[in-house]
Amino acid sequence: MKKTVVFVLAIAAFSGMLASSQAVAAQEQGKEELKLQLPKPMFIGTPRNINSPNLEKITGKPRGTFFVPLGTKLVSLNKPVTASDMQPVIGEVSCITDGEKSGEDGYFVELGPGKQYVQIDLKASQPLQAVLVWHYHSQARVYRDVVVQVSDDKDFVSGVTTIFNNDHDNSSGLGIGKDKEYIETFEGKLFDPHETKARFVRLWSNGNTSNDMNHYVEVEVYATPAK
Amino acid sequence: MNKKAFTGLFLLIVIAAASFRLADLGLRPMHHDEANQALKFGALLERGEYRYDKADHHGPSLYYLSLPFARILGADTLAALDERTLRMVPALFGVGVVLLLLLFVPLIGREALLWGALGLALSPVMVYFSRFYIQETLLLFFLVGLIAAALRYRRRPSWGWAAAAGSFAGMMYATKETSVIAFGAIAVALLLTRLAGRAEKEKGLPADSSRPRVRWEHLLLGAACAVFISFLLFTSFFQNPRGWLDSILSFQIYFVRAGEAGFHVHPWLYYFQTLAFSRSGAGPVWSEALILVLAALGMIAAFRGRPSPVAERTTLRFLVFYTGLSTAAFSLIPYKTPWNILPFYIGFIVLAGGGTAALLRSFRSRQVRAVVFLAVTAGFLHLGLQAWRANFVYPADPRNPYVYAQTSPDFLKLIRRVEELRAVHPDHEKMLIKVIAGPYETWPLPWYLRRFGRVGYWHEAASAGPPEDAAVVISDTRQAGSLESLLNGSFQSEYYELRPNVFLVLHIRADLWEEYLKSRSER
Repeated sequence: MKKTVVFVLAIAAFSGMLASSQAVAAQEQGKEELKLQLPKPMFIGTPRNINSPNLEKITGKPRGTFFVPLGTKLVSLNKPVTASDMQPVIGEVSCITDGEKSGEDGYFVELGPGKQYVQIDLKASQPLQAVLVWHYHSQARVYRDVVVQVSDDKDFVSGVTTIFNNDHDNSSGLGIGKDKEYIETFEGKLFDPHETKARFVRLWSNGNTSNDMNHYVEVEVYATPAK
Repeated sequence: MNKKAFTGLFLLIVIAAASFRLADLGLRPMHHDEANQALKFGALLERGEYRYDKADHHGPSLYYLSLPFARILGADTLAALDERTLRMVPALFGVGVVLLLLLFVPLIGREALLWGALGLALSPVMVYFSRFYIQETLLLFFLVGLIAAALRYRRRPSWGWAAAAGSFAGMMYATKETSVIAFGAIAVALLLTRLAGRAEKEKGLPADSSRPRVRWEHLLLGAACAVFISFLLFTSFFQNPRGWLDSILSFQIYFVRAGEAGFHVHPWLYYFQTLAFSRSGAGPVWSEALILVLAALGMIAAFRGRPSPVAERTTLRFLVFYTGLSTAAFSLIPYKTPWNILPFYIGFIVLAGGGTAALLRSFRSRQVRAVVFLAVTAGFLHLGLQAWRANFVYPADPRNPYVYAQTSPDFLKLIRRVEELRAVHPDHEKMLIKVIAGPYETWPLPWYLRRFGRVGYWHEAASAGPPEDAAVVISDTRQAGSLESLLNGSFQSEYYELRPNVFLVLHIRADLWEEYLKSRSER
C-alpha cells in the first residue's frame, strides 16, 4: 500500500515537472500557449415540432439514371423471405417482396432490436444487376450498419460477396465497411452488385436513428437470366 | 369525512405525486429549451451572472430558485450539474402544487379536494411537465397559491392573505410573461363570481354569506409585495435596474410573437384535442377526457342550488369563470405549446374534484354510490397508468402527445461517441470540437458538451476556419453539404437523430478515428 502511494506521488510529481518544464521551455523560446476565444452558442427559443410524415429528401440530389443490361428483370417479386427474427414485432416478412412500397402503416415489417437480417431466395443463381431497398420512408431515418451480401450458399458460409457495408466501426462484426450512411427516402437505396452471380441476397441492419428496431418496406432485386 | 381519514388519504396522494415526479429524472434527453435554461442557470451558478432578456427565456425565478437546490446537492459549477439536479426544481414544485391545494379545504371541502388532488397527482400532462426544467410548473405553483390566497382573502380578509396573494402574484410575474393572462382571468372571474352571487341573492336563493370587505391598505400591501418581489428578481437583486422596465417592455415582443405565424401556430382546438383524445399511428391512445367530463359536472354543480354547499358552490363558480376565461385566452392565441396547458388545466382538475364529490353526493342509494365510486377510481387509476407510460415508457417518443420538439434518444449516442473519442484523444476534454449548425440544431449540444474545454459554435462552415484543426466537427445536414469538399475524405462521418426528421452529422478526424478503432480492438 505504502509503495503504491509513493509510486503515485512520484508519477504525479514527474507529470507536474514535465508540464512545467514544457511551459518554461516554451517561454524560453519566446512562446506562450495560444488562448483561443471560441464563439459561444446562441440562445434561441423552442424549435419547430416536426411530427408529420416527411417524404422529402434531406440531403443529396435525386438519384441519377442507373443503366443495366438489356433484358434485366425484377426477379425478387413474391420470392420467399426468411429473417433472423421470424416473429416480427409488426407485419410479416413476406411483405418485403410483395411489390408494395407505400410508406404508410401496414406496409412494413418490424424486426426486433439490434443486429438483424432478412434473406431473399431468388430460386436461381443469376447475374444480379441492382438491389433496391426501402427500409422505412414515412420519416427521415438512418439505418445503422447496413450490410448487403449475396451468395449461392443459403447459410452464407462460403462464396459470400459483400456489395455494400457502412458499418464503419464494425459494431455488427461483419467487418469494417467503407460505404457511407444515408438517410432513407421514398426513392429507396440502390446497391450495385456489379453483376455478381448469386441466388440469395441477405440484408443486415442494426437499428436506426429513431429506435433500435429494424424495418423493411420492400426489397427489389434485378437480374439478367443466367446463361 | 373525518380529519384522520382525510389526512391519511391526502398523504397517500402526495406520495403518489412525488413518486411520479421524482423517479428517474435523468431518463429523458435534455430538451432544447431545458438546455437553454440550464446554460443560463450555469452562468448564475458559476459567476453570479444574470440579466433579464426581454426577448426570450422568460422570468428569473427559475434560475434563482434553482440556486439552493444546486448548492444543497453540491453542484457549484455548470459541469457539476446534471439533469436530475435541475429537474428536481420543477419536480418538487410539482409536488408543492398538490400540497398547496390544502389551502382550498375550507373553500371546496375535503372530499372535493381529495379528488382534485388525485387528478393533479396522476394527470399525465401535469406529471410530464413537472419533470421538465422550464418555468411552467413554477408558474403553476404560484398561480395556485395566488388563487387560494385570493379566495381565502375573499372569505376572511386579512393582512396575511393580502400579503400572500401579492407575493404569489409577484413570483408569477417573475416566472413567465403569460402570468398576465392568469391575472386578467382571475380579476374578471372574481367580478363575475360576485355578480352571480348577487343575482342569486336577489332571487331569494341561498347565497354565499361571506362579504368581500376589501380594505385599501390590504390591497396596497398586496401590490407592494408583488412589485417588490418582481423588482428584486428582475433587477437581479438591484444589479440591473433596467430589468424591471424590460419586463414590461417584453410584452410588446411577446404580444407580436403570440399572434404571428411561426413554428408554433396550432388551431384553437389544439389543447382540447390533445387532452381529450390523441393517437399517433399505431401508438397508444391518450386521453384525459375523464377530467374534462368530471369538470363539466363540477361546472353544473357550481350553478345548481343543491346539493353542493354554498361556499363550495361559490368557489366552483369562480373556477368555472377562471377556467373558461383562461382556456379561451390560451386557445385563441395562435402560438401554442403543450406546456401552456398547465395554467388553465388546473382549473379543470379542481373542478373535476368538485364534480366528483357532487356526483357521489347525488346518489341516495349506497350501492349505486359504491359502483360510481369504483368506476371513477378506476378512471383515475387509468390516468396514473397513462402518466407512467408518458413519463417512463414514451418520455421522448413522438407518439406521446406531450412530446414536443423533443431531443431524440439517438442524440445521446452521439454524445457517447464523443465521450469515447475524448478518452483516446491525447488532449482528452481539451480536444477541439467545432459545432457548425443553425441555432435550432445547436441545442442541447452546449449542455452535453459542458465539460469540454474547447468547443466553438458557428452557424456557417465558411466562418469556422479549417475543419482539420478540430478533432471532431458536429454539423447539421445543411452544413454537412458545405463541409463535404472541405473535409476532403479526411473525416469519418456518422448520422445521429437530433429530433424526428432532424439530423446531426458527427465528423471524426481520420487519425482520431483510427486511434479509436485501435482502442476498441484492444479491449
